[in-house]
Amino acid sequence: MEFTRGVYMKTYRTKGNIIFDVIIYVVMIFVLLICLVPFLYMLAVSLSAPKAIINNEVSFIPVGMNFEAYKQIFSYPNFFKAYGNTIFYTTVGTFISLCMTTLFAYPLSKHHLKGQKIAMKLVVFSMFFSGGLIPNYLLISSLRLTGTRFAMLLPFAINQFNLIILINFFKSIPNEIEEAALIDGLGYFGILRRIIVPLSKPALATIGLYTAVFFWNDWFNGLIYLNTDQFPVMLFLRNIVNGTSMLGDAAGSADKATIAISIKSAVIITSTLPIIILYPFLQKYFVKGLTVGSVKG
Amino acid sequence: MARRKKQNSYDSASLQKSNFKRHLRRYWQLYAMMVLPLIYFIVFKYIPMFGNILAFRRYRPGMGPYGVKWVGFKYFKMFMQDPAFWRAFRNTLTISLGNLIVNFPIPIIFAILLNEVRNVRFKKTVQTVSYMPRFISTVVVIAILGELLSPSSGLINNFLQSTFGIKPIYFMNEAKYFRWLYILTDTWQFTGWTAIIYLAAITGISADLFEAAKIDGANRLQQIIYVTIPSILPTIMVLLILNVGRMLSLGFEKVLLMYTPSNSQVSDIIDTLVYRTGLANQNYSYATAIGLFSGIIGVILVSSSNSISKKITGDGIY
Repeated sequence: MEFTRGVYMKTYRTKGNIIFDVIIYVVMIFVLLICLVPFLYMLAVSLSAPKAIINNEVSFIPVGMNFEAYKQIFSYPNFFKAYGNTIFYTTVGTFISLCMTTLFAYPLSKHHLKGQKIAMKLVVFSMFFSGGLIPNYLLISSLRLTGTRFAMLLPFAINQFNLIILINFFKSIPNEIEEAALIDGLGYFGILRRIIVPLSKPALATIGLYTAVFFWNDWFNGLIYLNTDQFPVMLFLRNIVNGTSMLGDAAGSADKATIAISIKSAVIITSTLPIIILYPFLQKYFVKGLTVGSVKG
Repeated sequence: MARRKKQNSYDSASLQKSNFKRHLRRYWQLYAMMVLPLIYFIVFKYIPMFGNILAFRRYRPGMGPYGVKWVGFKYFKMFMQDPAFWRAFRNTLTISLGNLIVNFPIPIIFAILLNEVRNVRFKKTVQTVSYMPRFISTVVVIAILGELLSPSSGLINNFLQSTFGIKPIYFMNEAKYFRWLYILTDTWQFTGWTAIIYLAAITGISADLFEAAKIDGANRLQQIIYVTIPSILPTIMVLLILNVGRMLSLGFEKVLLMYTPSNSQVSDIIDTLVYRTGLANQNYSYATAIGLFSGIIGVILVSSSNSISKKITGDGIY
């Protein structure tokens, strides 16, 4: 024992190991910077004076700090509208999705239920072969959902990966709890609502977060299905970047370009802020999904 | 005797029937739960699947989503002779292959190095920060990219100009940078997230193996080469095979956001071609045919790579 510890200590403090440690820490700090720098830069630009941006003085610290860009986007009704739309799609979409996914996952977690296997096959097959862009588009328009908010919500009510995560979680709940409730005369709806759902909070939080992030970030479906006043904030941002829509009507045309840059940055920051702020608190749930649900029927 | 037998078989059939009735009566609530989700699956997943028959039929506006007349493989023959299709096909494969070569090994290296960090809090911090980009919208990623690379005010061009005296480069507009930008933004977004799987595999390695290697006098680099990498090789193989299976599905939204007429030569992939011919030019049948073709190749690739993975490593995704 003494001998092995001696060898252990010896190999630990060699020059090679110290160099190794240094290299690892340098690489990790580099990774940290690469991940954070884009956001710091955007934050700095959004808070800087237009003059400093023109003269290329801004890197990671705001130069001539001011909140003009933020004031401007908050005075712009279209931005508010889009932000509100995104909050609506995210909350309602996530709610619908959680309800539908839970309703399906619970019966699918029961092996003895007749037809469970067929339903499961139906789900798994649809993960590998889907309708594709055009048939989906024609379906939405023939259902007359184009130009309605439902086009953003209904087609995404159930994500198969999330469904499987939840099914696996339900399967891991011991049967005895349920049997006791059945003897007490509780029906399956009652069991689901009063026992299964409260026990499944971590799994529901995980898939709820995935869903919420999906709705928050979605823009393409808005582009093909919605009218301008229904656009989510990500589509709004895309249109600013594209130059298809202008924010505010800046007075001096010389200023226009630089003002546009700080405003663009302000929109980027405000539309990403909820995720960045909530992220550290929620990240344990984010990762859980990967460990809870291996994709197996 | 014969009558009795008949009676019996009648009994067992009716028994089965009543069994099923009892099953229904007992579990009707579970079946009731499935009604709405099943309708959802049929309407939003399976009807579009059958909507693919439009690839074999002529579409008339206002005459329903399934077309008006059978035309056989006309649209397939058409796109097979269309150079734009082959260009998109080539671009899709080139980008995927480049993406695989660059972005397959990086998460493995990152996971191995991160595992060597001994300060637990620092390790946690790096990990947490590294998978944050996965949750950022593609729109935001490309918007930030545009700002960073802007020829007039972008950080990168400023740096290149002030340090090396290089004239501003229009990164986002030039075709030769497109593939690299696509690949590197993927690196930025997904390295940390993909590394989680490898980190989990590394954590599963028995500590005895490392201990034995240490006693044999292996330094840390040697431990990585002789213990860590061989131990996670099965995980690496599974993910490699599955990634090859997904070769045809690129980040369509990202390509669409980065697409400009000046880089279309390399940035037009199958999905953007379907989008353009289908939704922008309203050649619905033609676009459906292209989409169906690449969808079927995708299914074949995924299922065959999955069965190869099962055969070699005993593990697959389904």
